[in-house]
Amino acid sequence: MVTQDEINSKAKDAVMDFDDELVEEICEEAIDAGLDAVSLIQDGLTAGMIEIGNQFNEGKLHLPHVIAAAEAMSAGVAILTPVLEEQGGTTESKGKVAIGTIEGDIHTIGKDIVATMLKVDGFEVIDLGQDVAITTFVEAVKKHKPLIVGSSALMTTTMTSQAQVEEQLKEAGLRDSVLTMIGGAPVTQEWANKIGADIYAENATDAVAKCRAAAGEC
Amino acid sequence: MIPKFDAFTNEQVESIHEHSMKILEEIGIDFLYEPALEIFKANGQRVEGNRVYLDRKFVEEQIKKAPSEFTLHARNPENNLVCGGENIIFMPGYGVSFIYEADGSRRDSFMEDYDNFVKLAGASENLHMTGGIIADPSDVPEEMKHLKMLYSSIKNSDKCFMGSASNRERAEDVIEMASILFGGRDVIKEKPAIICLINSISPLKFDDYMAGSLMAYAEAGQPVVVAALVMAGSTGPATIAGSLSVQNAEVLAGITLAQCVNPGTPVVYASSSAITDMNSGALSIGNPECALFTAACAQMGRYYGIPTRSGGGLTDSKLVDAQAGYESMMTLMTAGVTGINYVLHTAGILEGYMAMSYEKFVVDDEIAGMVLRYLKGLDFSEDAFGFDVIKKIGPGKHFLAHKHTRKYYPIELRDSELSDRRPYNDWEKEGLDTLQRAKKQWQGVLENYEAPELDADVDKALLEFMEKRFAELKK
Repeated sequence: MVTQDEINSKAKDAVMDFDDELVEEICEEAIDAGLDAVSLIQDGLTAGMIEIGNQFNEGKLHLPHVIAAAEAMSAGVAILTPVLEEQGGTTESKGKVAIGTIEGDIHTIGKDIVATMLKVDGFEVIDLGQDVAITTFVEAVKKHKPLIVGSSALMTTTMTSQAQVEEQLKEAGLRDSVLTMIGGAPVTQEWANKIGADIYAENATDAVAKCRAAAGEC
Repeated sequence: MIPKFDAFTNEQVESIHEHSMKILEEIGIDFLYEPALEIFKANGQRVEGNRVYLDRKFVEEQIKKAPSEFTLHARNPENNLVCGGENIIFMPGYGVSFIYEADGSRRDSFMEDYDNFVKLAGASENLHMTGGIIADPSDVPEEMKHLKMLYSSIKNSDKCFMGSASNRERAEDVIEMASILFGGRDVIKEKPAIICLINSISPLKFDDYMAGSLMAYAEAGQPVVVAALVMAGSTGPATIAGSLSVQNAEVLAGITLAQCVNPGTPVVYASSSAITDMNSGALSIGNPECALFTAACAQMGRYYGIPTRSGGGLTDSKLVDAQAGYESMMTLMTAGVTGINYVLHTAGILEGYMAMSYEKFVVDDEIAGMVLRYLKGLDFSEDAFGFDVIKKIGPGKHFLAHKHTRKYYPIELRDSELSDRRPYNDWEKEGLDTLQRAKKQWQGVLENYEAPELDADVDKALLEFMEKRFAELKK
């Protein structure tokens, strides 16, 4: 029988090979063998992701590697999640982030990358999708009580709606219960200051770093 | 490789040839070197004093003997270069006396600068050879310069290099050093290993230094770059077509001499022609007219079936500034897209061939990388189109995580070495401009550079030869 260490090591390698199908097979194998899902996520999948992240920071790997490894890891986590609950174990979540592309805007790629990166970094991500109505952001805050609510806008015309999120959260009396994060090509720190958003994320790496800092503060 | 761009019609190219033939037949060209005059006489050409009148049929026959391409050999065979055809060879600037520093100050160039530029060219992924008189070493006695520079080129890199052409005796010295390195004169005659730059003196003149060097290289079977630098408006007509006819006459006369000395001598048809700045009378090289000279040079070479040299990272700026960038990109890009084979002055030049700059070298190296990427063209294979990948991903999703992306982005999407592509907030942390980044880059390259090992016996033989020549030359 395969041991926990062996399966963790195989999972780590598969993440580092960007092989989502193999990651899924390994996770199935671990479930069949009755191994610990928490250990597999932390010492297998996450360990592989951390190594990829380190190589990215050293300039040895580039964005396609990080995204592909993240997707491979996510594929594994999706299979392990139901089992995790059965086993009564939990992986430590850094916090909930609700995230979406704002009303009138269907540019999802930047938001998708941020969501993937937050997920592999240990955040629980509630992906609200694209062309998300302001009221949906407010509803999501009410329902999921996330640490952070993030809105993405790629156009100057839709960027203005990010201010509406601030306003409607205030009107619903929820503004103080959540941190707001904004991002997107035309968005700047100055814009964040102007509308009163808590976090400005310049790119996916920046979003992860700032969400981590926010989670640490709470 | 992308197809090369013709800026002129066949009729226009032929009209340049016709006018040059008329110049050589009716006006003639001066050679201030007796052995050259003797050769032309012996080949039945009319010689009056120093003036040589060349028969057009004779010229056309001689230039046909020049090979359409040739291989230049490096001490590391992996760095051998084919000059001609679709190939493009990049190398540093040539023949300057000054270094312009990042702060805008000017100083004389030294041997250490020469060594440094050989190392920087040796380390570059975009420069194929290390060049020749990259920076004239003012701290070395005149009679020793050619030996010291060639030794540095041999020792500090294993890429192809150029040799001195300052006179016949010095040309013989550097050919001897190349033959020590490669194992004898017979070896380098079979496998050319040292190439030199021969310049006419426009309009319509070759001096004894240049003609003598040309003959020494041709006799040894070594390639020569035969170049004319016509300044349109002063050393040639203000019309570019007129100056092209003068340039072409000079270059063809030089190539004819090389073929008379040794039929089949590899030659490069070269133009460094540009314009006269009519405000000051100075040479000006970073301009569209110079790019047109380059385009014409490429086409004349194709017309004659001879490899060409022209263009470069050329600028009249004194600083590494926007002017240096836009002028250099225009002239280097033109060399690339028109099909020039041998690009002297690719990297480092400031102020019209007057100075080298370390920072400009790094900027031009980046431009060279961009031009090389452009010239490579695109992959149109079925796998590259990736229809199945597009189908799998579908509308609205991204390709970042697909293995097709990991396979192709390193081939198709060139990463920049100098250009800063980061978002504002990342850039802002250091806030460095191009000049500052370029300075950091060349300093880092030099710090980490390790010269490829040179065989100890060869090294010893080279040093002994140099010692012997130093002693003889001092007398």
